[in-house]
Amino acid sequence: MKMLNSWRYLTVAIILAIAGAAIPMQIVRIQNSPEVAGVTGQGTYIWETFYPARGEIYDRNGNLLAGNKTVYEVDVDMTIMPDPKNTGTSDSKVTALDVEENIAQAAQATLGMDPTKALAKMTDTSAGTAYIVLGKNVPSDQAKSLMDLQKKNKTNPTGSNLNAVYFSAQLVRSYPENDLASTILGYVTEDNHGYMGVEEKYDNILAGIPVTVLVPADPRRAVEYPHIPSGQTLILTIDREIQASVENILDNALVSTGAVSGTIIVMDPKTGEILAMSSTPRMNLNDYTRVAEIFPGETPFNRAISQAYEPGSVAKILTMSAALDNGTVTPGTIYLDTGVFVVGGIPIYDWDRGAWGYQDMTGCLAHSLNVCLAWVSTQMGSDSYYAYMQRYGLGHLTGIDLAGEAPGRLKLPGDSDWYPVDLGTNAFGQGVAITPIQMVMAASALANNGQMVYPHVLYAQVRDGHQSNMSPQVVGTPIKAETAHTITSMLQNALESESSDALIPGYAIAGKTGTAQIPTQNGYDSKDINASFIGWGPVDDPRFLVYVWLEKPQSNRAASVVAAPIFKQVIEKLVILMGIPPDTVSLQKTGQ
Amino acid sequence: MENVSQIVQKVRQAHWRVQRQWIGLFLLGLVAVSMVAGIYLNITVRATLAGHEIQLLQSNLIDDRQGNSDLETQLAGLNSVESMRSRAKALGFSPAEPEDITYVVVSGYTPKIAVDMSQPGAASQGQSQKPMLLPDYTESLFDWVTRTLASSVPAGSQP
Repeated sequence: MKMLNSWRYLTVAIILAIAGAAIPMQIVRIQNSPEVAGVTGQGTYIWETFYPARGEIYDRNGNLLAGNKTVYEVDVDMTIMPDPKNTGTSDSKVTALDVEENIAQAAQATLGMDPTKALAKMTDTSAGTAYIVLGKNVPSDQAKSLMDLQKKNKTNPTGSNLNAVYFSAQLVRSYPENDLASTILGYVTEDNHGYMGVEEKYDNILAGIPVTVLVPADPRRAVEYPHIPSGQTLILTIDREIQASVENILDNALVSTGAVSGTIIVMDPKTGEILAMSSTPRMNLNDYTRVAEIFPGETPFNRAISQAYEPGSVAKILTMSAALDNGTVTPGTIYLDTGVFVVGGIPIYDWDRGAWGYQDMTGCLAHSLNVCLAWVSTQMGSDSYYAYMQRYGLGHLTGIDLAGEAPGRLKLPGDSDWYPVDLGTNAFGQGVAITPIQMVMAASALANNGQMVYPHVLYAQVRDGHQSNMSPQVVGTPIKAETAHTITSMLQNALESESSDALIPGYAIAGKTGTAQIPTQNGYDSKDINASFIGWGPVDDPRFLVYVWLEKPQSNRAASVVAAPIFKQVIEKLVILMGIPPDTVSLQKTGQ
Repeated sequence: MENVSQIVQKVRQAHWRVQRQWIGLFLLGLVAVSMVAGIYLNITVRATLAGHEIQLLQSNLIDDRQGNSDLETQLAGLNSVESMRSRAKALGFSPAEPEDITYVVVSGYTPKIAVDMSQPGAASQGQSQKPMLLPDYTESLFDWVTRTLASSVPAGSQP
């Protein structure tokens, strides 16, 4: 009996032990079973590519110039369609065509699609097609209408629900100001690549770096998910209000003068910050597909940086400042203008073919005398003259942070196409090709105590909530500060003595017109000219440097008539938008 | 006295008594293993739920960011130069001319140069933006026991 009880106890103990041991074994088994791993993604990693959101672009006052908006790709999952062989005679009574027609009608009602085309997309697929793209870049409001309809019909029978429709959201570039500052911003194509302007120049930092990584499907490893930083936000030096005003003035100028194109640049001469830069044509950046139509052939996207041309008389300020700086002349130096001056065996004439008699250097600038400036450059000598022009950066890229800059061309003694006469013609802006931005950079030395500043459009970068501001850069000191003050004073006097149309009451402005002939393969064009004006102010404390260039104006052949009034319109806006008080108020402020 | 000792001796050596001791020991071990397995299962379930929640939050974060971008762009469109000009015109405003402006000298006034988009409290540069997890959520049981024991030893005492 005793033995029997022992066996009974032992049997019960073994059963209990097995049952008890089965519990933790089962726990371990469940957790490691392939079924559970399949459901939870345990131990599974998936290759995923993360595309960071493209950084935004703001103007200097925080106005959004380039942002992102959500659009949807609307797909139809063809794998969950009823069997196409089902012709409606089977038990389900629902054919693939029923479902497709229902989707096509919904697409018509919400996406505005042609139902016939939508249906064709679904019916014209080959066997085995997993999905078809019903719509790309669908605006979010339309996609949401379709989503709402899908939710509404979710529980409907197969034939009338929209369960086969899928949505995938993506961010695309959006420009709320449409064509404003378009030549500065550039554009972004569907593949998220930036072209032209800021979008191309800063494409890498705006787009961020797409990362392809193994992502754990196991939710317990959620902490291993990569952190993909968005592209950096950029703040430009551009002032939206000034930009809009300048564009408006330029557009009106083209109409009133009949010019084929135009460019206006506004820069802070102390920092090199571009406050506005406009050239024609411009495009609505939200419709970049029209780029080839708007910029046909060789048309530059941004003339201000990409189109080199002979600047004409505005270049005289560089020649005169160089001659003053190396002591060749002083403002009081007298030159007898007989109406012709021969350089390298070639006679040079004034713009009116007249003889202006005795002129001091201010008079030479005021009357824009080619003969006088040709004499000045020859007095300097080619070595000294070209050394100064190179220090001004002519013939070299300024390095402005916009894609597509052209270097221009400054022929130098020794070059195969340089002739002695070039020393004379270059002095008044002929035989040299420069871009408007080069002229602006060179002139910044005159307006900024001899220090030439690097022109740029990037004010700051913002990353992870930190703003890094760019520091102004001085790229050279081509002339002494005293020379800069002297030439500024001479140009101010020249404008005032001529009662230039560029002046506005209450503000002292320095500037120079430029009426340039246009070179052709058969010499200079006798009909068309380039009209330009460069100026800065207020002269005591320059806050702006403005360059105006109109290509082939038809209303008049003199820049003083065509370009100077445009300059005036620009600075009238600038003094308001930049809060620059008249000189009398500034003096009062300084005196405090 | 001798009888008592004999009874105790017999009980200790009883076959059922030895078996019961073994069974007891086995059950004790089983309970211990079950408890550890149960705790492990419980923690795993909670971690999985938290992971799912993180996945959902990450998905929501992406949606919210897209939504914010949308709204910001829409707002910028409403405040665009063209839009503001037409609204101002409709309200009877016109662009100011130089002669419309009166300047007043205000000592100490410094005009704003440009926008500052720095966010207060943003992580310092170079600091990871990856979410930080407390050690409680990452350390193993062994680590926890070691840390608890280490913290229970008074500072300065010799091991």
